[in-house]
Amino acid sequence: MAFSFPRHRPDFWTWITISIVAVLCILLILPILRVLTLGFVDPDTGSLTLGNFIEVLTRNYYLNGLKNTLFVGALGTLGACLIGIPLAFFTTRFIIRGKTLISTLAILVLVSPPFISAYAWIMMMGSNGVITNFFGGIGINIPTIYGAHGIILVFSLKFFPFIFLMTQTALNAVNKSFEDAAENLGCSPWQRFVKVTLPLVFPAVSTGAIICFVLSIADFGTPAILGRGFRTLSTIALSAYRSELGGPPTMAVTVSIMMMAISMIALVAQRRILANRRYASSLTNLPVAVKLSGWKNAAVHFFSHGIVFLAMLPSAVVVYTSFLKTKGPVFVGGFGLESYDRIWRDAPDAIYNSFLFAIIAVTFITITSGLISYVIVRRDTKAAAAIDFLMMVPYLVPGVVMAIGFVTVFRNGMPNFFGPAVLLVMIYFIRRLPYGVRSTTSSLRQIKPSLEEAAVNLGATPLGAFVKITVPLIFPGIVVGALMSFITAINELSSTLILYDAGTITMPVKVYVAVLDGEFGLAAALSTILLLSTGACVYAVFRFAENRNSAFI
Amino acid sequence: MASVEISGLRKLYGDVVALSDISISIPSGTFYTLLGPSGCGKTTLLRTIAGFHQQSAGRITIDGSFIEHLPAHRRDVAMVFQDYAVFPHLSVRDNVAFGLKQRRIPAKEITRQVEEVLEVVELGKFVDRMPHELSGGQQQRVGLARAIVVRPKVLLMDEPLSNLDARLRVDLRSELRRIQRDLGITTIYVTHDQEEALAMSDVVCVMEGGTIQQAATPLDIYLRPSNRFVASFVGANNFLQVGNFKGESVLKCCGCSVSQHLPADPADPVVCALRPEDISVKVGEDPSSLLNTEISIPVQIKEVSFVGREMEIFATTDNGEALKAVGRSDSKVIALPIDSRAWFCVETKNLSFFKDSELGERV
Repeated sequence: MAFSFPRHRPDFWTWITISIVAVLCILLILPILRVLTLGFVDPDTGSLTLGNFIEVLTRNYYLNGLKNTLFVGALGTLGACLIGIPLAFFTTRFIIRGKTLISTLAILVLVSPPFISAYAWIMMMGSNGVITNFFGGIGINIPTIYGAHGIILVFSLKFFPFIFLMTQTALNAVNKSFEDAAENLGCSPWQRFVKVTLPLVFPAVSTGAIICFVLSIADFGTPAILGRGFRTLSTIALSAYRSELGGPPTMAVTVSIMMMAISMIALVAQRRILANRRYASSLTNLPVAVKLSGWKNAAVHFFSHGIVFLAMLPSAVVVYTSFLKTKGPVFVGGFGLESYDRIWRDAPDAIYNSFLFAIIAVTFITITSGLISYVIVRRDTKAAAAIDFLMMVPYLVPGVVMAIGFVTVFRNGMPNFFGPAVLLVMIYFIRRLPYGVRSTTSSLRQIKPSLEEAAVNLGATPLGAFVKITVPLIFPGIVVGALMSFITAINELSSTLILYDAGTITMPVKVYVAVLDGEFGLAAALSTILLLSTGACVYAVFRFAENRNSAFI
Repeated sequence: MASVEISGLRKLYGDVVALSDISISIPSGTFYTLLGPSGCGKTTLLRTIAGFHQQSAGRITIDGSFIEHLPAHRRDVAMVFQDYAVFPHLSVRDNVAFGLKQRRIPAKEITRQVEEVLEVVELGKFVDRMPHELSGGQQQRVGLARAIVVRPKVLLMDEPLSNLDARLRVDLRSELRRIQRDLGITTIYVTHDQEEALAMSDVVCVMEGGTIQQAATPLDIYLRPSNRFVASFVGANNFLQVGNFKGESVLKCCGCSVSQHLPADPADPVVCALRPEDISVKVGEDPSSLLNTEISIPVQIKEVSFVGREMEIFATTDNGEALKAVGRSDSKVIALPIDSRAWFCVETKNLSFFKDSELGERV
């Protein structure tokens, strides 16, 4: 009897898995490892040392940055919770007019870049802001937006949609019987909320909060625009990087490691807390919304609509400002299209570059995320599990850190092939890849594997089955993933600031530079274009996504 | 039409043995059923033949040529899936044409063959429907049409009827069998439903624990199970301890002499199997004195349940072994009060004997 010994027959998907792992090693693991190792090397002698960390943890300049980062991160997250949780509760448990409008606006807030809202707040409450001047005119000096409180305000109003949307989903899934039981056992409505409902949605709230916290730590634009001497680790990392140009970016890297460590610790802590809190419940008794009356009804409506109005206000101000008549950097009263005219003279390349880089990156993301999702969902191998895990990493690594890693890997002694344009496309690709993978993966999980097997069984090659059967079936997920990665790629600021040069300026960078130069009209017009493209993508996501809200969080 | 030959097939998942040393031989045109409880390895075996799993060792040949090294898409075996696996984004026509297009058959010929096969499965009117417009039974017909239209050498079916409701299952069962006979296509059919297996197959192969317990015609499987597992899995069976008394094999519960030729080693105990439908229930005097070809076991009635066409009688023997009998409803028996005495009578030719272990072989 002929015996055949176990052989590994590498099929099409084995080669794909190997290629994906190779790409992730080069674009993700290598830069992060470089950052990690550089932090432990003495820049002058080249020997291993802990000196860099000792310097960061002892010198006031860095120590204050660390404290500031944790301070605005924690309070910004707290603010987002205080806004997001009540809003979620009101919209799920009470009948509120315009509920869809509220979620839509929350999603728009979620996807619009934070630096735009930071700069809009300057126009409202900066030293020469509309509101500041209005109160100044009647003799009241109100505090300006600059400093920690401004950053916390922007973070709270910017990041609350994460908490809101996640808590809303969780609240919709709480079995009403639990709340009925609590009421039946003698709880007042408030006790019931605190003792039963809130603990049940705690996993969702804490996941939303962790996202807020990680994004706040990583955010560069807001503290850079509103900080005025109030420095956080991300702004410190960028200035350190700039002052170390020419040598190894040791201090920038060390600060970067601190940022990653904070995100990691926060995530691990949240996972530990959540570990023992898994509440499975069958959805036999769906929660119902009750109709309030009188002042309670008015108050709930006022709060819910007021919050999203306030959060949308910066975008509205930006669009409004873009149509003001300007002469150079000065607003001269009345309306005009001078700001848009200036775009055509000063920044057509920024628009061109932004769209070009984002579209190329998104094209690669779309193809790659389809393949990655297939490997993650269908292949039960260690490599697939590793890829699944690696897809979380770009969320945790701040843009500044990733960019510094890219510079250290691809700039030193590399051929000119890795010019700024290539680096930008590569960094957009790797940082926004998880958005595409997340969306296609959740689509693919709903497709029965037997469909692909049937195709192969009927004679299609693995690639043929993927293209003819899998891709058409997960097409909506692919489109949503592409749009989400496009939105986040075109609004990218922090890593672009490190990698760009004169020929590769993008819209976010141009806005940032214009704001620092006081060119508010130009910044407003460019921001409006960014907001419009973002809004168009959000509209398209609504058309394609099966569940509008879950596509964004 | 093709014969299938499997030798020494083994499949390991880490340390877990899913299939151990499977060797079977399926003549051309046979309807061959793999029957067993869930986890017995029947689906793993089918999917290994299809090429979705790679065997750890062993060979598979179709019509004499080895196929175990071929990737799934080059094996020329068509599969019908438990969950239909009808492509939801393609019409009935495109679903059925899928395999033909892969084989680069001219468009005109595809149209003709698709329409022909849809007539065979009685879906002629549904060519341009989308799958979501079809019922479960109709979707499975599409699955079948799609598989047979490519004229595969072997047709593989993975519990194709288990997602359908009971009535439809029986209808489709005979239709499947008719189509298979008409085409004369070698078919390997996986099911956990013994009635389905017995009704449809030329050969039933009972599997358990990744190994083959018995492969035989349905009648042989039922009447002459080769071991205790097959005897208890296919149809219902009662097992009674057999003891040795003065050199004679007797049922421990009543001392009835059962056979002269059983091994008498007390270290190697034997059980006697009697099917519920072979038991007749008698009340009153010990009837055994009347007939030499019958044994009668004194029992205490525990429950009589009347289920319409038949009745089920549950009883215990004097040493506490549980017995079940099934028979035509008899008002005298149904009226028996609980704990009353009766006799369970079985003709000795209907007794089988097995070694007393889970997979104990026939004696």
